[in-house]
Amino acid sequence: MKKITWNRLLKPSQKGKRRWIFVLVLVFAVLSFLIAGGSYYNQAASWAKEASNNTVNLPQVQEKPFRLGLDLQGGTHLVYQADVSEVPEGGRDEALSGVRDVIERRVNVFGVSEPLVQVNRNASGDYRLIVELAGITDIDEATDMIGDTPLLEFKERPEDFDPSQIESSQIEIQPETDGTATSTATTTATTSIDLSQEDINSPIINIQDQANDYENWENTELSGKHLKRSVVQFNPTDNSPEVSLEFNKEGSELFAEITEENIGSPIAIFLDGYIISAPRVNEKISGGQAVISGNFNLEEAKTLTQRLNAGALPVPIELVSQKTVGASLGAQSINTSLQAGILGLVLVALFLIIYYRIPGLLAVLSLAIYGLTVLAIFKSISLILALLMVIIIIGLMIYTFHDLKVFDSILSILLITIGIFLFIYALKPVTLTLSGIAGFILSIGMAVDANILIFERFKEELKSGKSLGQSIDEGFSRAWPSIRDGNISTIFICLVLMFFGTGSVQGFGTTLFIGISVSMFSAIVITRTFMLMVKSKYLNKKPWLMGISNKYSK
Amino acid sequence: MYKIIPLRKIWLSLSAILVTLSIVAIAVWGLNFGLDFTGGSLLELKVHNQEVNNTEIKEALEPLELSSLVVQSTENDTVILRFQDNTENIHREVIGAIEDSYGIEEGETADGQASIEELRFDSVGPSIGEELKNKSINAMFLVLIIIVIYISLVFKKVSKPVSSWKYGIVAIIALFHDIIITLGVFAVLGEFMNLEINTPFVAAILTVLGYSVNDTIIVFDRIRENLLKQLDNFAKTVNISVNQTITRSINTSTTTLLVLLSILFLGGESIKEFILALAIGVLIGTYSSIFLASPLLVVWNDFVNKKKED
Repeated sequence: MKKITWNRLLKPSQKGKRRWIFVLVLVFAVLSFLIAGGSYYNQAASWAKEASNNTVNLPQVQEKPFRLGLDLQGGTHLVYQADVSEVPEGGRDEALSGVRDVIERRVNVFGVSEPLVQVNRNASGDYRLIVELAGITDIDEATDMIGDTPLLEFKERPEDFDPSQIESSQIEIQPETDGTATSTATTTATTSIDLSQEDINSPIINIQDQANDYENWENTELSGKHLKRSVVQFNPTDNSPEVSLEFNKEGSELFAEITEENIGSPIAIFLDGYIISAPRVNEKISGGQAVISGNFNLEEAKTLTQRLNAGALPVPIELVSQKTVGASLGAQSINTSLQAGILGLVLVALFLIIYYRIPGLLAVLSLAIYGLTVLAIFKSISLILALLMVIIIIGLMIYTFHDLKVFDSILSILLITIGIFLFIYALKPVTLTLSGIAGFILSIGMAVDANILIFERFKEELKSGKSLGQSIDEGFSRAWPSIRDGNISTIFICLVLMFFGTGSVQGFGTTLFIGISVSMFSAIVITRTFMLMVKSKYLNKKPWLMGISNKYSK
Repeated sequence: MYKIIPLRKIWLSLSAILVTLSIVAIAVWGLNFGLDFTGGSLLELKVHNQEVNNTEIKEALEPLELSSLVVQSTENDTVILRFQDNTENIHREVIGAIEDSYGIEEGETADGQASIEELRFDSVGPSIGEELKNKSINAMFLVLIIIVIYISLVFKKVSKPVSSWKYGIVAIIALFHDIIITLGVFAVLGEFMNLEINTPFVAAILTVLGYSVNDTIIVFDRIRENLLKQLDNFAKTVNISVNQTITRSINTSTTTLLVLLSILFLGGESIKEFILALAIGVLIGTYSSIFLASPLLVVWNDFVNKKKED
């Protein structure tokens, strides 16, 4: 008895296979719904719990919001042009990431939830900084602050400072020697390496509040303009990363003076009023070459050099474009457009059902799953769920194409490409802008088209006297080349938009790409599975339910 | 069966007339490029509790000597200002001048008192606009090249009686037809309804490219399929193929247009130009795949045959 069941499971009949795929499609649909519409499910679950006096206890799922672009949630989009003429060719990328770092920190002051600061290098070699501040539309203050050249200051302790407040750390500054690090008596110093570091327990950060206290430090004449450059290098004895400083002539003299006065105590380096390092001076450093060494790792050393260089290298930035969208304008726009879009979809559903009858109804169900899937991919999905979804999509497509006997090498390349892209987009949220939503709406049109192509072909086959089952098979396998050729050319266009477009055009390409990829799955796999499930002798006798005249009854 | 191929002269003339009219419209009125391409500033303001009129605002801004200032009132008491200058300082001076002229103190928001709400401020440097134009044109050419190569490859197997590259060229002619007519409509709308061409429009045109190619390929696919069955009369085969796909073409554009038109008439203001471009493009794209691309294939084939006979 048991053996028979196992045999049925492992080697199912044609009909059994169809049932399995149908179940898989349903599971997939539920999964997509839970991801795309988690909040609706949770509401329903809470309601069920209350209504049934806690007997029905459905687990809650994680709710994730869509990521909305600036045009939908309101905010400011700024583009700065960076003047890199005074930075040597090779160091420009590095210099710009230093500037980016500074701007990011300045922007953080405004409490923007997810500020975006991007460096963009265009074909003609111009560097642009793109700053997006969601939810902030009054930006006079922001533009002022962002546009300032970063200020690098070297400060020392005032004479009346109580040195007992200094706590211990292991950062020190010493003269740069010819490869051999002189290890003088190592006293302790204070520092803060990573300003954004959240680990409160780190000894480096413990000191920060106190050290950051601007008042406790006194300005020196030494500033960013005296610093020629800073690079990461490795200590020749123990290979640990260090940060070297090189001053210009005037800077060397000032630095020698300052270090002489501060032997045994720290000097602090401030960028925009934030302390970025406070190494302890062990001896007078003349000659304008110094190394900051301590227990930092490579990443921290790099950050420190970037910050030092940001204050040293003159990369003035100029505001070249700004766009502000009031939140109310965006919200109003999204709501009306969304309602209009839903109305349009209802009309499409009615059209499909009236014109194509039962297949039309199945197509509407399949398109609903399609919509949920695309919306789920727009959100960020956990690794396992994303993998599961993509495997179901691609796996079922391969199976179906195999079944239709149209699977070939070109198709496998296409499916692999689609699979990889869908997986990547499933993991990270897709930023929805107005044009992105338009891309989605257009992809719905294309998904509907795939169904229409199939049904027209299916009706032709039915009219030519074939049985329902044969017509379904023929309808799908004959409509496929048209769907494929049309969709591949659109996918090419999407890829061009995604990689060569800017801003809104890119968003449009991305959503259209996701939409078209999933539309093939929806038409070829889901609609077909549904059609095969409803196929019956009864329907064979009722051609009007298939959208054709009853004279074709068999 | 619809006489699409037999009546090809009518359809082709209609297309020729539309394309000519569009080119004339573009030549006479030009395209109304918006801020994204020309550079400049756009400031949208809402003035609360105060009647606004355009002349007053213009007068208030006179001392600033803004270049090519346009003041436009829209529905809901909002005013749109456009000017060529695009620095942040000018932006602040403009706001300041308007506030002064209505006697609004900065930061005052008491009930019933006049105040200004800044709904939108867009400013684009001229270099950015130029760059965007170049980028858009490059992207379009890249798309066109990919389409020709792709179609030539797809139709490689059916090189008789019409060689496969001709399908590609005809598809591209249909594309240019669609784009020129869409641009022509926008030249007219730009002149008479002040509709502008901005970045979303480029996305729309690219979509029309995709849609139109998709539509044309589906008809060609059917021609290819039927050609493999019979070869006797090319014109007849094409006519049959077009008739077999016409329901699909019309149904698909109907459903797409249902969605687009509901957004166009009921949707948000900010994507109207985009949706309109899509709707026009979809309509023309459907027309061209039925009434232009396939008849052109037949005309080309006839032309080659005649030459051979001569």
